[in-house]
Amino acid sequence: MHNTKNHTPPKMHKPKRRENQKFVTKKHKLQMDLFRKDWVMEADLKWIDNPEVFRVNQMEAHSDHEYYTTETTYQAGKNLLKQPLDGIWKVCYSRNASERPKNFYQEGFDSSKFDDVKVPGHLELAGYDKVHYINTMYPWEGHYFRRPTGCGMKGERKGEFSEADYNPVGSYICKFDLKEELVGKKTSIFFEGVEQAMYVWLNGIFIGYAEDSFTPSEFDITEALRKEGNTLAVEVHKRSTAAYLEDQDFFRFFGIFRSVTLYARPKAHVEDLWIRPKYHLENSTGTVDISLKLSGATGQGCVEAFIKESGKTGASAQDGIKACVVAREELGKCVEISCQMPGKVIPWDNWNPYLYEIEIRLFDGQGSLVEIVPYRFGFRKIEMRDKVLYLNGKRLILNGVNRHEWSAETGRCISKEEAAWDMECIRKNQINAVRTCHYPNQILWYYLCDENGIYMMAETNLESHGSWQKMGEVEPSWNVPGDLPEWEAAVLDRAKTNFEVFKNHTSILFWSLGNESYAGEAIRKMHAYYKEKDPGRIVHYEGVFPNRAYEDTVSEVESQMYAPPWRIREYLDNHPKKPFILCEYMHGMGNSIGGMKSYMDLLDEYEMYQGGFLWDFIDQALFATDEVTGEKALRYGGDFDDRPSDYEFSGNGMVFADRREKPAMQEVRYYYGLYR
Amino acid sequence: MGFTGKIADYLQLVYGDVTLGVAGEGFHCIFSYQTGGLESLCVKGKEWLYRTPKPTFWRALTDNDRGCGFHLKSGMWMSADLYMDCVEIEVEVDGQKIPLPKAPENNRFGAKEYAEKLAVTFHYETITVPKTEVAVTYEVIPSGKIIVTAEYKGKEGLPSLPQFGMRFIMPTKAVGYIYEGLSGETYPDRKAGGETGIYQMEGLPVTPYLCPQDCGMHMDTKWLEIERESVLDNTWTGKERFSLKIESVGDSFAFNCLPYTAQELESATHQEELPPARRTVLCVLGAVRGVGGIDSWGTDIEEAYRIDAQKDIRFSFAIRMS
Repeated sequence: MHNTKNHTPPKMHKPKRRENQKFVTKKHKLQMDLFRKDWVMEADLKWIDNPEVFRVNQMEAHSDHEYYTTETTYQAGKNLLKQPLDGIWKVCYSRNASERPKNFYQEGFDSSKFDDVKVPGHLELAGYDKVHYINTMYPWEGHYFRRPTGCGMKGERKGEFSEADYNPVGSYICKFDLKEELVGKKTSIFFEGVEQAMYVWLNGIFIGYAEDSFTPSEFDITEALRKEGNTLAVEVHKRSTAAYLEDQDFFRFFGIFRSVTLYARPKAHVEDLWIRPKYHLENSTGTVDISLKLSGATGQGCVEAFIKESGKTGASAQDGIKACVVAREELGKCVEISCQMPGKVIPWDNWNPYLYEIEIRLFDGQGSLVEIVPYRFGFRKIEMRDKVLYLNGKRLILNGVNRHEWSAETGRCISKEEAAWDMECIRKNQINAVRTCHYPNQILWYYLCDENGIYMMAETNLESHGSWQKMGEVEPSWNVPGDLPEWEAAVLDRAKTNFEVFKNHTSILFWSLGNESYAGEAIRKMHAYYKEKDPGRIVHYEGVFPNRAYEDTVSEVESQMYAPPWRIREYLDNHPKKPFILCEYMHGMGNSIGGMKSYMDLLDEYEMYQGGFLWDFIDQALFATDEVTGEKALRYGGDFDDRPSDYEFSGNGMVFADRREKPAMQEVRYYYGLYR
Repeated sequence: MGFTGKIADYLQLVYGDVTLGVAGEGFHCIFSYQTGGLESLCVKGKEWLYRTPKPTFWRALTDNDRGCGFHLKSGMWMSADLYMDCVEIEVEVDGQKIPLPKAPENNRFGAKEYAEKLAVTFHYETITVPKTEVAVTYEVIPSGKIIVTAEYKGKEGLPSLPQFGMRFIMPTKAVGYIYEGLSGETYPDRKAGGETGIYQMEGLPVTPYLCPQDCGMHMDTKWLEIERESVLDNTWTGKERFSLKIESVGDSFAFNCLPYTAQELESATHQEELPPARRTVLCVLGAVRGVGGIDSWGTDIEEAYRIDAQKDIRFSFAIRMS
């Protein structure tokens, strides 16, 4: 997908439109070749007002693989070319863009008056800006009248975010020296999650711009990087047009809330990896197709790929080695490898999440090792036959849960330990599936699902229910993305990034187009995108339930939420077109989860009823200090003088916000255990 | 009648002007014509009642109750739970109904009155529209047992009930309780995962739902033993624990045992707003509304788990005082 021929000329601020690039912006053709950045751009504040600008100078999204340069560092699991930047940074909070320190990114800017702040983290939880919880309403409800670009209504306004008197900005500065191993190498900066729009500079040079808070944003910084005394400046805006697409029912935060890392490339590097294992049911054999995109000193040397059994979860690389040389290819920009696994393979599923491991080695022309890329994957087959979903030939039953990433201490910036606790809790309670509601999660979570046999519904970062669902009613007089051309590229880019980053995870059985965003042409194209790129997985979307016009073109499953059992019967008794899934059911607010049997019975009654995802895993509430006792207490919407709010509506977990199981969990464990 | 046999086979009755006392080996109870119920339940010298127990109809709304507008339809049960009139009291001694022995009717009795069996029935009238009646009978047996029977009279036009049973408020907070029944917090529509066994609870745990609400229910219980170690009696300085046992009579019962009433729970928007825990509030229930879960914004719980207020409800349990 890289465009190597048509570079945008240096300092060109208004690139011409190129029609052949589908997923980049119309007005700012800013895509560049990964390692040939020979131009500089100026940042433009107006990008936050423009839904067509969401990705400036970003590298192509790619597989989330790790890489190593020596056998020793590989065995130790230590990528020496990686430099984490997490830690204490400097920050300046401004109430709006006009009050922000505009030249803070320039070299020599005195940031001594900036505050110290921990990265990653939400700025609200660091004491800047008000904590606010709200469900479907846009967070500016009752404060600003806004209508999205392109809707043709009176409320549309230029500068609605850049000129708003309330739209906070976090101006971050991070000073660092480069680790020795990274010096002189092609290097990128990788932001795993920044909410909600971000401009990046390094040593005074504009690096790029990104939206899509929940997927990685990566920029090539080679040209701007120094050995010592680097100044990274990141300007994060709380709201932008992306806010229309990120109206998830959660606490509304901003800031750099996931890790920031530098990645240097060895002289040849696997930029992207796509492993497509196929499980052949008829004889339990497996084949694997692998596509590699390489960068750096390609054209010489060679690629070797091995697949071995990595055995049970947690097995080390040495365990149960059944190595097979599957390929030895000359290095080229793109390398395709296909192989047939010897003998039978063990399929991956919830009962036995059996993983194989591929090791890809790049060698230079002299035969010296340049890079090792390992990746663990499983053989499994998800398919639809006679309107029923089967996994490895068995009818799929989803005993699932929706999961927000949540910590009562740190919000959506959760620790590895918290993620591990969640996985342990999910396993222990017989839950076999997770929907990443309603955004891509930390990369770590996808690996955990692979290792633990958890069926994933990997959701795109999209939720716009404030635009068409008002006071519980379907009211799409205006809605995004709908059919509005201005919004299409942004949502397609979100789908693309979700796919490209996570495509190798065996646990993903479903791509989900997002949550509660109604249905229109943009959504239809997202469906088509996933299906075209990845026909081996199922595409899910619930938003056709309120808009049946898209029933035949969006979502391969009939997905509904909170349908009472009778409504499911009604669908399945009347010439159903698709298998039925409840993407959300059993609303676990407070003392709830009564009547689960009526749903579980449907699994016995209807082959085409395939289960669902409970709402949801963990209460979203925050620890605060009680004004009266001085003790720690859990607080929810409205407890921060935040209005309007939906108050305790964020507390619907199977576990409390402090990760203690709710009493209802024994019921979940019982029924999910019966139908596992 | 005169005392002829072993003391354990007989109850001693004290026909007071305002109350009816009844004593057996190790226990002493007082039924009050003034407060309209069992005013005192004293076992081995320890008082178990803070206020006269009454029928209970209301529970602190769950999020799902609120979401489906249950309170808008059934809210009158809250006031019915708080305020009720005792309209009639009946006393039966050894199976014979006697005229209510309050003053001056009681002047015909003396200091030594005994019986083999005493039954006192309190008739309550609810303040619902329309009104209905609840009768609560305490049948005292010399071996040290009170069989409590609560009868709700169904009435056409009354909205669905949150719960029905008896609420006991004890003077001090219990240190814990033991019960034989289902594990965990269970409700009629959420008990399949509960495992039968004997469970010991430390303290009176309030399930820390984000918003305090009805919680801690235990369905299908055979017996329950509440343990305390403190009293309000200024003469007592002991430290040993003492307990009271509730047993099923025929059918099992449901209960929750919390340090708060439904009103206290419902008045708090956060756990930390709940007042310091000072009492034990035990609800022994014959009917419990399910918690539901289809959604939290409109759909009522499944019909099978609602309590039809148009139908009679009758259930019994026993208080063991020996």
